[in-house]
Amino acid sequence: MSVSTRFKSGRTGTGDAYVSDHGGSPHAQFMRLTSYALIPLGALSAWWILGIAGKPLDGVRAEIGRPIPALVLLAFGVVGMIHARKGMDDIIEDYVHDEALKAQALVANLWASRAIAALWVVAILLIAAPK
Amino acid sequence: MADADTDRRAARRPLSPHLTIFKPILTMMMSIAHRITGAGLYAGMALLTLFLLGAAIGGGAFSAVSWIASGFVGNLIILMIVWAIFHHLLGGVRHALWDRGLYMDPQGRELLAQGTLVGGILLTLLLYIFKTLAS
Repeated sequence: MSVSTRFKSGRTGTGDAYVSDHGGSPHAQFMRLTSYALIPLGALSAWWILGIAGKPLDGVRAEIGRPIPALVLLAFGVVGMIHARKGMDDIIEDYVHDEALKAQALVANLWASRAIAALWVVAILLIAAPK
Repeated sequence: MADADTDRRAARRPLSPHLTIFKPILTMMMSIAHRITGAGLYAGMALLTLFLLGAAIGGGAFSAVSWIASGFVGNLIILMIVWAIFHHLLGGVRHALWDRGLYMDPQGRELLAQGTLVGGILLTLLLYIFKTLAS
């Protein structure tokens, strides 16, 4: 007896309803792994982010220019923006139903997240670099 | 097979989530808050990046971006970012517990929803108090 379904998979060929061409499981797994890293990174970063509030320029540079805050904030920005990009992908896929607009929004999100992460790294390196 | 008639019917079908139909309950509110804080942190990171770039360049560039982290608006932005970090962090811990099949009963999930809401505010306040004492 053969069971035929309308599902088609590039990986398995026609007829396998249980294997998807899409990346749902890797996506969920990736969000979890990055979130575990972001628990200590986020909590520590919150401390130094709060520390820059209301400070003059020297105070801001002193707060995050030391090696440990700079390194933790670097990791937080990079891992955080990778996690944020994937999370924003979910939001776009949930609320944008026009296929063309959705594709454009996903690309815009990819490059916006990369730009934020890159500029974040540049800014912290400039602040923390030995003068 | 899909024909024009089923396409029309599919187009009329309402899309989930039916926010205007469901009774607002805490677990649902915390799910929505998790998404809002996540999107908010995306914007918050963009603002912080702008602020850090200004601080890295210094001079006029710092004056141009200092509103992001000082004054009433700046303090509010930083406080919102810190709260959003903790709220989203605790929301994530909640999901990690659910992944392991824990706290999924009615009492358990209600407790986690309350814990996320209260914990996020409490951790923000505690951090603020400790930071004030430390400086």
